[in-house]
Amino acid sequence: MTREQFIQRLLEVFKEDTSDVFSNGLEKGWLEFEDQLYRDDVITRKNIARIIHMYLLKQKRIPDLQDISKAGELRDIYDCRVCAKHVAQIYLRGIMGAKELSAKGGFLWFDLNGEDDDHSIEEYLIRAYGITKEIG
Amino acid sequence: MNQDRPSSITDKRIRFDSFSGTEDALFPSKKQRLPAMGWNSWNAFGSGNTEDLTKAMVNKIKELGLDEYGYKYVVLDDGCYRPERVNDHLESDPVKFPSGFKAMADTVHAAGLKFGMYNDIGDRLCSGAEVGIYKHEKIDCEDYINWDIDFIKVDNCYYMWDNATFSNPENAIYSYAPNIKLISLAGTTYSAVKDAEITGTRASVKDDYVTFIGTFDGTAPDHSPVGTRSSELVFEVEIDEPNVYELVVSYASGKEEGVGRWLQIAVNSDVVFDEMLPETESPETFTDSAPIKLKLVSGFNKIRIMNHRRQENTLNSYTEIRKELENFGKDRDIVFSICEWGKTQPQNWGHNVGDSWRILNDITFQVGADGNNGTAAWECDYTTSITSQYNKAVIMDEFAGLDKGWNDPDMLVIGMDGITETMCKSHMATWCMMNSPLMLGMDLRRVNKSDWMYNLITNEDLIALDQDPLGVQAKRIFTTFKCDDPSTEYIRDNNRVDVLAKPLSNGDIALAFFNLKQEEHSDKISISVDRIINSIGHKLTPSAAENFKNAASYQLKDLFTKECKVTSDKSFSIDSISACDCVVYRISPLA
Repeated sequence: MTREQFIQRLLEVFKEDTSDVFSNGLEKGWLEFEDQLYRDDVITRKNIARIIHMYLLKQKRIPDLQDISKAGELRDIYDCRVCAKHVAQIYLRGIMGAKELSAKGGFLWFDLNGEDDDHSIEEYLIRAYGITKEIG
Repeated sequence: MNQDRPSSITDKRIRFDSFSGTEDALFPSKKQRLPAMGWNSWNAFGSGNTEDLTKAMVNKIKELGLDEYGYKYVVLDDGCYRPERVNDHLESDPVKFPSGFKAMADTVHAAGLKFGMYNDIGDRLCSGAEVGIYKHEKIDCEDYINWDIDFIKVDNCYYMWDNATFSNPENAIYSYAPNIKLISLAGTTYSAVKDAEITGTRASVKDDYVTFIGTFDGTAPDHSPVGTRSSELVFEVEIDEPNVYELVVSYASGKEEGVGRWLQIAVNSDVVFDEMLPETESPETFTDSAPIKLKLVSGFNKIRIMNHRRQENTLNSYTEIRKELENFGKDRDIVFSICEWGKTQPQNWGHNVGDSWRILNDITFQVGADGNNGTAAWECDYTTSITSQYNKAVIMDEFAGLDKGWNDPDMLVIGMDGITETMCKSHMATWCMMNSPLMLGMDLRRVNKSDWMYNLITNEDLIALDQDPLGVQAKRIFTTFKCDDPSTEYIRDNNRVDVLAKPLSNGDIALAFFNLKQEEHSDKISISVDRIINSIGHKLTPSAAENFKNAASYQLKDLFTKECKVTSDKSFSIDSISACDCVVYRISPLA
């Protein structure tokens, strides 16, 4: 799924106006200019986490979880200074899960630059929508 | 994967052996300057900083008069660039900074402040924007000079020659030597395990070979910065006839932290080989290198098998940027802030090129946004807390100084959620004691004259410690934690109280009692004049040290309460100290 398709789908799930995919997000600050610039790129997991987190925060006023220490179990959480907070929020809210780094288990990672299939992404969006119903 | 390779190093001043030398400086123009003070956008707004927000910060700095206290630099961190180049040039993000960087600089300068920017030695910024400075040093530095920058912070993401953040983990091929089993020279075979000396603390023996020939990755808080952090394998070989001999190295290469492919060989101080070796089947499948010619003298020759490229490559990359800044801005006064997170032990080489060097990964990853304070922590297992940064910085005083530059335990987190006012007070006090750069990281619109944040960040007595012209970072002279040497031992157990002493230019001493515990310490702690002078007296002039030691009495000023008292006691004490609190005295000897 491309960035543009993802944002389009997010707006659809949240029953937002989809006539201009980018303008609302850029104006409200939950999208980055790069999302528009790289609209045709396949969206990575770290960018899914960022966009969902910022959408919930800026558009839906869902406050951040204060204690993100449990996200420290993700081996790659601190590999990314710009996305760690997004990943932590989305992971700890159960919207996106971790992956096993070892076949034996016990080594979790988020796979920041990984890509997910459309079905998985749909599930993330539905979970995010559910959270706005619970908290919002 | 990037098919390039690190450039050859022809300037001996970038070599490991020259790191500590100051006779032939890389940048003779480098100024002796005190730690920078200002505001940086990162902790406040993360990637969400904008032109409007920055202007609001400029206005607030002026309204609060923060510049009069020394906070002069306004620095745009990551997230401000258009995420790709335009005609090879950097441009501002058109949504966040529609007027461009020159206009932003003009706004900052018009307010009497100084303007700072951000980039990265890799090919991208940490945000992923494809505008890293690698291979664009000339064009970018010319633009920076044209934009009138006064400060630049240079990050380390996506770096090509190390396994840095977002880099290819297999870049370890450049950072470590291969595993070494044997060398053959002049008809004799020498065992790496039995016949060589391992210097430093990084390398180790595994079975019949030596591995981890390189230096530690200092990004995480796991390793002490003190001591010789890198290792070499040194063979001392006696030769009868001076001649050119052929050396063959039995090696096995890898591409992970600890084992790589890049090998350096030096005979005494001359680097005679500095190249990538062919890949082997596995890190334990040994093969012989092609013969390497060595010119040896009669008698003993030190043959050093090593790889210092992790440090040399990074220094080289920062040097290229500074060179171009000086090339295009010969008369400009630009603070150069190295932000490679302590990865390559910059305390060893940072002074050659920069004014400060970060010592660890970030102090928080929960940065704020417009309307969100962000979150910081008092302690944690990683770098993301005040005490994590403090615990490393506090033993790094010997690496810092006016003639070198400053350890940087990252920007201030005062005003973020997750920490109390007392914690912020100790944070500010210890950063000042340690001569850290003081970069504010809160949304300044939340600060009002006379509120606790304002009072803390404008505590002139604390700032005077940070900016004292003697320029000596405090030394830890006592800790309640049992250890052999409080000044150098890396202690990560926060169940303790530390005492720091800092010599000042007028002969005074600053003494800080710092309780890292999240509970009160109720036992008395006394520090004698003798202990202070024995620990830091050599940093004062001889007469100032004598004057302090032999004073009939002392004035103690509490730098938070501003209370002064005079004592003739030859020791200074606290009866108790609250959880996470800090008591700082400025002690003046009286005749």
